[in-house]
Amino acid sequence: MSITAGIDVGSTYTKTVLLDADNKIVARHQLNTGFKLAEVAEKCFQACLAEARLTSDDIAYIIATGYGRHQVAFKDLIVTDITASARGCHLLFPETRTVLDVGGQTMKAIRLEPDGKVKSFRQNDKCAAGTGAFLEKTARYMGYETDDIGGLLDTSRDPAEISGVCAVFAESEVINQLSLGTPPADIMQGAIESLTTRAVQLMKRVKAEPGHTLIGGIMRFGTMSRAVDSRIKDDIQLPGGGEDRALPQFVTALGAAWLAHHRLRKLAGEGSTPTPAAA
Amino acid sequence: MSQNLFDSWRDQPLEEVLYQCRELYENTDFPTVRAWRDRGGKVLGHFQVYFPEEIVHAAGILPVKLRGGNIQPDKADSRFGSYLCSIIKTSLELALSDKIELDAFVTHPICDAARNLGAIWGRNYDYPCEILYLPQNPNSAASAEYLRGEYDRLQRMVERVAGAEINDEALRHSMAVFNRNRALMRELYEIKRQSPEKIAAEDAYALVALAGILPREEHNELLAYVLPMIRESAAKQEDRIRIVFEGAFCEQPPFDMVRSIGRSAYVVDDDFMIGLRWILSDVPRGRDPLRDLALSYIEDSSYSPVQHDLRKRKEEMLVRRVRAANADAVIVTAAKMCEPGLEEQVAYIHGLEREGIPFFVSEFEENQSSFSDLELQLETFMENLLFA
Repeated sequence: MSITAGIDVGSTYTKTVLLDADNKIVARHQLNTGFKLAEVAEKCFQACLAEARLTSDDIAYIIATGYGRHQVAFKDLIVTDITASARGCHLLFPETRTVLDVGGQTMKAIRLEPDGKVKSFRQNDKCAAGTGAFLEKTARYMGYETDDIGGLLDTSRDPAEISGVCAVFAESEVINQLSLGTPPADIMQGAIESLTTRAVQLMKRVKAEPGHTLIGGIMRFGTMSRAVDSRIKDDIQLPGGGEDRALPQFVTALGAAWLAHHRLRKLAGEGSTPTPAAA
Repeated sequence: MSQNLFDSWRDQPLEEVLYQCRELYENTDFPTVRAWRDRGGKVLGHFQVYFPEEIVHAAGILPVKLRGGNIQPDKADSRFGSYLCSIIKTSLELALSDKIELDAFVTHPICDAARNLGAIWGRNYDYPCEILYLPQNPNSAASAEYLRGEYDRLQRMVERVAGAEINDEALRHSMAVFNRNRALMRELYEIKRQSPEKIAAEDAYALVALAGILPREEHNELLAYVLPMIRESAAKQEDRIRIVFEGAFCEQPPFDMVRSIGRSAYVVDDDFMIGLRWILSDVPRGRDPLRDLALSYIEDSSYSPVQHDLRKRKEEMLVRRVRAANADAVIVTAAKMCEPGLEEQVAYIHGLEREGIPFFVSEFEENQSSFSDLELQLETFMENLLFA
């Protein structure tokens, strides 16, 4: 049975997914990206192989995606994270028509064709506003680590008003809120609400259609998906359904691995688009 | 002390050789040209596209291909309108800012801007600034004789600059040097077509472009040294789209643009610096060298939007190039404000559509510095082909 790999070298985390021909995830692994992109991609891939008790010879095709995709030396192909995310969402939820992907440094809204192809997309500008970096900076100003964000958000009662979404100017807003005696949990939730506003604006710009799927590292905080859910008049789909909280972060790597099977079939002369099935 | 102008690649491994070539290509101070002059050598600068460098070489003068550069045309801006292409301005800027010092300059009437460049250049310098009129109609029976006359006129001008006559033996020797050079470049392109994973697009580009700023004997040595190493290199063959890049016959795309394209596609053929590769096979070395050169230009040459030969319809030549390289798609591009290039895009697009060859249309400017949008668009185009 052929197994493919999708490697998503994101700005904050690098993710690898191994996928078999029945679209079952064989293994997945994640590492902090850091600044040695080629090295972390190799490490993440090897760790994933070790988890699955496989060797690189067992992998029939490798697609690299994410902002560091060009640095993956052992890839067969690169695809943009736009395409990989779209296909990953289509695999998990074939009815997906709009994808919101909030990662460490980027926020993207993607509109899909019924067959999972990208119809249009928008992404944030080069600044970190409206991304995971904004949340991380907000947490850090208050003395918390990234891993503390989830727990902090669960205790929020009255979200603070965070007007700005600039990661740099967030510091003055946080200091201002703290001086007013606002609890850190409410400031954090305020940052989430601010992020949500930006996400909704971005989705409007691609003329979002019903069938929303939310992915990206920020979605591991259930409060973010709930905030988006409350703003759009549509049932949102969250990979992992809130139980597998890390899955939203792996969807782009999953899409890349799925496209690798597509490519394998095409090279073998079968030429058919694989049919989505439960991953 | 070595008499060579560019030695840092010698005895080096492939990666270092290519690094040195990229560095030299991107150096807008043109150290090899400067070193040649410092040693008392004379330099003739010629503007794009094709120029019979053999005639200059035979006089012991260094022919330098002026291809603009990634510099701000601060002084040249005052000599040209803003509606003109960049290469016209940056080529003159290289001279006005003393980055390149010449003893003669030759341009061609490939477009209005290039035709006027000779007169504008000449107002700034005392040395000869000429226009070489390549035949507008190569299909005429008289064109070979006409071109031989033009080459003869050029030869006399070169002799005045050199202060010595050029004899036929010297010309034939230069033709042998250039024949060898073109054969080596053909070998490089054969590698690109057969095993594009072995040489990055920007490295192949730099290797060819250096011919324009080195004595051709040195360039021959460089290629003869590096080609076997490229052939032997063990690079993983990726499942990339194979593309032909069309639109770099005059103004050259920024080096980083070539690099960006080469990161996601295999550039299996192109028209980068096509003037250096214009003659397709060896120029015969018969009794009349100038006539041999003229005949090769007319009968045995490549194509570009600035040569109008009914036997070589550009869109058909492009399709032929695509087929010969077994390419999947074409990037049809043109420099901003380039009239011949933009006009020819229409014919190229119709030709490709007729043949069902996918293509991606874009524009560039040599001083452009951001390619992330282009890269994203190009990758999306290729993904549409890969996952159709």
